Amino acid sequence: MTDAKPLLEARQVFRGFFGNPVLKGVDIALYPGRVHALLGENGAGKSTLINLLSGALQPDNGEIVIDGQPAGRYSPASARAAGIAVVQQELSLTANLSIAENIGLGAFPRRFGLIDYATLHRGVRDVCAMVGLTEPLDMPVADLSLGRRQTVEIAKALYRKPRVLILDEPTSSLSAHEAGVLADLMVTLRDQGTALLYISHRLNEVQALCSHVTVLKDGKVTGNQSLSGIDGEGLVRLMVGRETGDLFPPRSAAQPTATRIMVEGFSAGAVKEISFSGRAGEIVGIGGLVGQGQEDLLLGLYGAIPAKATKAEISDRQDLPRHVQAANAAGIVYVPADRKHEGLVLPHSIASNIILPSLGRLARHGLRDRSAESGLIADLARQLTIKGDVGRPVQALSGGNQQKVALAKWLPINPSILLLNDPTRGVDIETKREIYLMLRNFATEGRLVIIASSDTPELVHLCDRVVVLREGRVAAELEADAISEEAIVGAAMGVEQAGAAA
Amino acid sequence: MTVISSSDRLYRAIQGRRNRGLGGLYLVVAAFVVLYAILFPGILSMGGFAKFTQNWFPLALVAMAQALMMLTGGISLAIGPLVSLGAVIAATTMGGSLGVVGGVAAVALTGLAIGAVTGVIVAHLRLPAIIVTLAGSFIVTGVALILLPRPGGFIPDWLSDALAGHTPTAFLLLGLILLMWKAFLATPLGLGIYAAGDNPVGAFRSGIPVERTKVVAFAVSGLLACLAGLFVAAQTGSGDPIIGTPFTLNSIAAAVLGGVGFLGGKGTMRGAICGSLLLSVMINVMFFLGFPPVAQYVAQGLIIVSAVAVPELIHAWRAKR
Amino acid sequence: MNIVRSIFRNPPLLTLTLVVAVWVIASLTLRGFGNYGHLRYLLELASVIGIAAAGQTLVVLMGGIDLSVGAIITVTAILLPLISPAWDPTGLVGIALALVIATCIGLFNGAGAAFLRVPPIIMTLAMATFLQGLLVIVAGGSAVTVSNPAVILLGQSRPFGIPAGILLWAVVSIFVLVLIHRMPIGARFLAIGANPLAARLSGVSLTRNTLLLYSLSGLFAGIAGVLVLGMNRQGYVGIGDPYLLTSIAAVVLGGTSILGGRGTYAGTIPGAILLVTTTALITVVNASPGWRSIMFGGLILSLLLISGRETRR
Repeated sequence: MTDAKPLLEARQVFRGFFGNPVLKGVDIALYPGRVHALLGENGAGKSTLINLLSGALQPDNGEIVIDGQPAGRYSPASARAAGIAVVQQELSLTANLSIAENIGLGAFPRRFGLIDYATLHRGVRDVCAMVGLTEPLDMPVADLSLGRRQTVEIAKALYRKPRVLILDEPTSSLSAHEAGVLADLMVTLRDQGTALLYISHRLNEVQALCSHVTVLKDGKVTGNQSLSGIDGEGLVRLMVGRETGDLFPPRSAAQPTATRIMVEGFSAGAVKEISFSGRAGEIVGIGGLVGQGQEDLLLGLYGAIPAKATKAEISDRQDLPRHVQAANAAGIVYVPADRKHEGLVLPHSIASNIILPSLGRLARHGLRDRSAESGLIADLARQLTIKGDVGRPVQALSGGNQQKVALAKWLPINPSILLLNDPTRGVDIETKREIYLMLRNFATEGRLVIIASSDTPELVHLCDRVVVLREGRVAAELEADAISEEAIVGAAMGVEQAGAAA
Repeated sequence: MTVISSSDRLYRAIQGRRNRGLGGLYLVVAAFVVLYAILFPGILSMGGFAKFTQNWFPLALVAMAQALMMLTGGISLAIGPLVSLGAVIAATTMGGSLGVVGGVAAVALTGLAIGAVTGVIVAHLRLPAIIVTLAGSFIVTGVALILLPRPGGFIPDWLSDALAGHTPTAFLLLGLILLMWKAFLATPLGLGIYAAGDNPVGAFRSGIPVERTKVVAFAVSGLLACLAGLFVAAQTGSGDPIIGTPFTLNSIAAAVLGGVGFLGGKGTMRGAICGSLLLSVMINVMFFLGFPPVAQYVAQGLIIVSAVAVPELIHAWRAKR
Repeated sequence: MNIVRSIFRNPPLLTLTLVVAVWVIASLTLRGFGNYGHLRYLLELASVIGIAAAGQTLVVLMGGIDLSVGAIITVTAILLPLISPAWDPTGLVGIALALVIATCIGLFNGAGAAFLRVPPIIMTLAMATFLQGLLVIVAGGSAVTVSNPAVILLGQSRPFGIPAGILLWAVVSIFVLVLIHRMPIGARFLAIGANPLAARLSGVSLTRNTLLLYSLSGLFAGIAGVLVLGMNRQGYVGIGDPYLLTSIAAVVLGGTSILGGRGTYAGTIPGAILLVTTTALITVVNASPGWRSIMFGGLILSLLLISGRETRR
């Protein structure tokens, strides 16, 4: 099998953004009839590597090689011509076109220059049967749930009859059944001689499906080997590069005190009538599969989306904050997951980002007090070890430093409740450790920290209590020793766990 | 050609679903047209019907032109000036050596060329369409003023009669243009406009030539606007360098009424046509009821805002419940 | 070389350099251009554009655009003579009333954008159309002559030899510059312009700032309207039309990003002067209205191309 020549290779590719190197000389080779796993933490450079392999980005240095021939001007169109298809995390679908049209998009069969709908229909029917898509093919994609859209995306890749299929976390929003269908499909494709590259955070899936692994860490390859004879812990060591133990600060012995948040019958967005509470001095984790209402819970508590509750008690107030300013005034702050779009004003400087929530408070007689502002900014930069000139635009910073800025801007208003949405996504390990320590210190100082996370170890080792959401409802509430990866994942997937449900 | 593709079950199902989505709009349009026919039964005669469609036709064309721009995620402020330029070119060329055929070709080529150049600037240089077309509107107006400083020029009488006489030629032309649009939308390029407008990154990764698609959409949009000018010139029998001015706003109003969204990829051409019909009926009614022409402006301002705001409010109200 | 590069990197400075260069060259080559009187006249013309563009700059910084500036100028210029009460010898009451109306129109724009979620460009365009129709109905087609003493004083007087309009512009400029650079609200406008979602989640109220922004734009358009009326002594339908696109052009010329979030009124000031100067030069070379329009469009387009290059990164 390995005697065959690789279909697609990246050789010593480099790529950076805004002066930040993301890939620093990466090699990868995909062989026919093999499922190749690409592992790495968030921010290790996996998505960038995929974008290079699929032609969506060009390497700064190094080359992409197809069938042993360097691909010169490489674009998504030429990748498709070479039989390379990608299922991206971010969907490439057009909401107002039908399922069939979306699947055929960019690869329509033609007849007299027109789209040949009859041929399209046949082809689409076949791939839909393969992925288990049973919805009417004329249905607009806008009417589908996220998981079904992901399935359409997979069907779209298959429709192009790829020789190389790259799947970037395809199961993140799939149900267990859908994921099973996908696993069978991958085996079939592998046996037909397709080269597959599989990216997933679920190590059990990787071990079940893949035979070879490339591990990325901070833009470099730290492992490129057969998967046989390597266990889960070994993989984690390659990805993380250190024992997980010293990543997290020890839990504090102090007992949580007064209730800071208590809601009953709380609904917001995808969250349906849940009860939730948090006390001063604890770190509460919110877990679950992607898109089960974690974000809406935080946004609802923050007053950023409409929410209602039959009973609510939030920092001594008897109602939910109606808007963000009310939440801020009540000492509630929010750090979004998507810091580039929601957390930061990217083209503006570190200083203006940090000072944004404090502008009004620092102003005197309606005018900004420049010296007070720069004093505060310098203070915060020192406190959070944000190095360098604060006049630089934040888009020039690394993910970790951007996250520090997104967090730093809230400290001046001395929040009593911190809501954080996946705060360590795309953050390097060192900054992660700093952030964990900071969060633990916040809790020790008597604040309430609520953290939604897609990173299960984070929930297990950092949080005092974990609430698992599933389809907008609380699937489990775990405390102390009951918190384990198995319990969280089990509850998230809807597997009954004796004694775990609260 | 279209027979081949429309014979397929999938194609029919997709089209049917699009029509169902517009059911409400069809009902409103039908109600207005019936009401109009009751108020002014003259429309039911051949001549009345011809006159009515002639008033509607240029509006339908500019609504299509604007809808096309909005589908790509932009908006054009140069529709009116392009109508003027189309009228001026028609009126200045047809009397000369080019003749009627040459004149029509000159109008069409001008529209395509201006649209394509705007498209290149917007798509390849990534500049916002609104401001590029704003600058473009000055340049186009300037060219029209240089070609024909004051109303005049020449349109052969037979052409005016044929297009804007007592026969519903305009209605037939509109049907023809709609058929051509359907055929265009059945090509990969035409459907690509939706993808390029709704999700340009995804479209690029799917292998759609996003830039080229946008340039084509802009060019077709320019063509439609200039052809509307040609028709207006035939209607009035002469060219006028500022006759198109109201069409910029009208085109936006019609497209918005027809449910075309501002953010790209949302809306249908049949919706835009219905929107233009609705607007045309409203303008006619106000005219017949003796409103001063400026009252149209007041009404249009209200129509545009409510066409955008009402669905938004309904949506917000539903979300709250 | 370094100086040249830094000028190109700083759009307000680039525009200012252009103005100085054009003035020097034109003064040397065209007889009468460099006269104190002529330059002062250019500045006086620029002051109306500059004041109208003050509101436009703020709106564009916050990522919107105000297409009702011209209509609001017309409304102010026509309504002011009609609503100035006869019992007020100073005429200040009339001005105050007119400015309140202008501000309210702006507030309506803001309300449409904030509550009805109508995109600002559509909201202000619809408002402009609406006002245009309403004015003809209210005022008829004829021009109204102003007798309000304060307005006439503003348009005609020259304290210390400087036209009052220029002084008014200076006051507006200082206010707007302080607002953008020294007041919290300026920083909030910029943050909303660059990333409304991030600004909202950082506790910046979109509703309040949108209402305030468009009210301010209405107010500045109203002030420009009063000044135009004073300079013309007559208000008529269409008097404000030329100022809509020139106000946008002045903002673009000043290097403010049309996409919002980046720029300053310090660029709009030389932008307005450059615009008036170019128009004057086009008039001197006796260009037809068509050529004037083409040159104007070409100017906006070429500046967009120059400034757009670096915006894309």
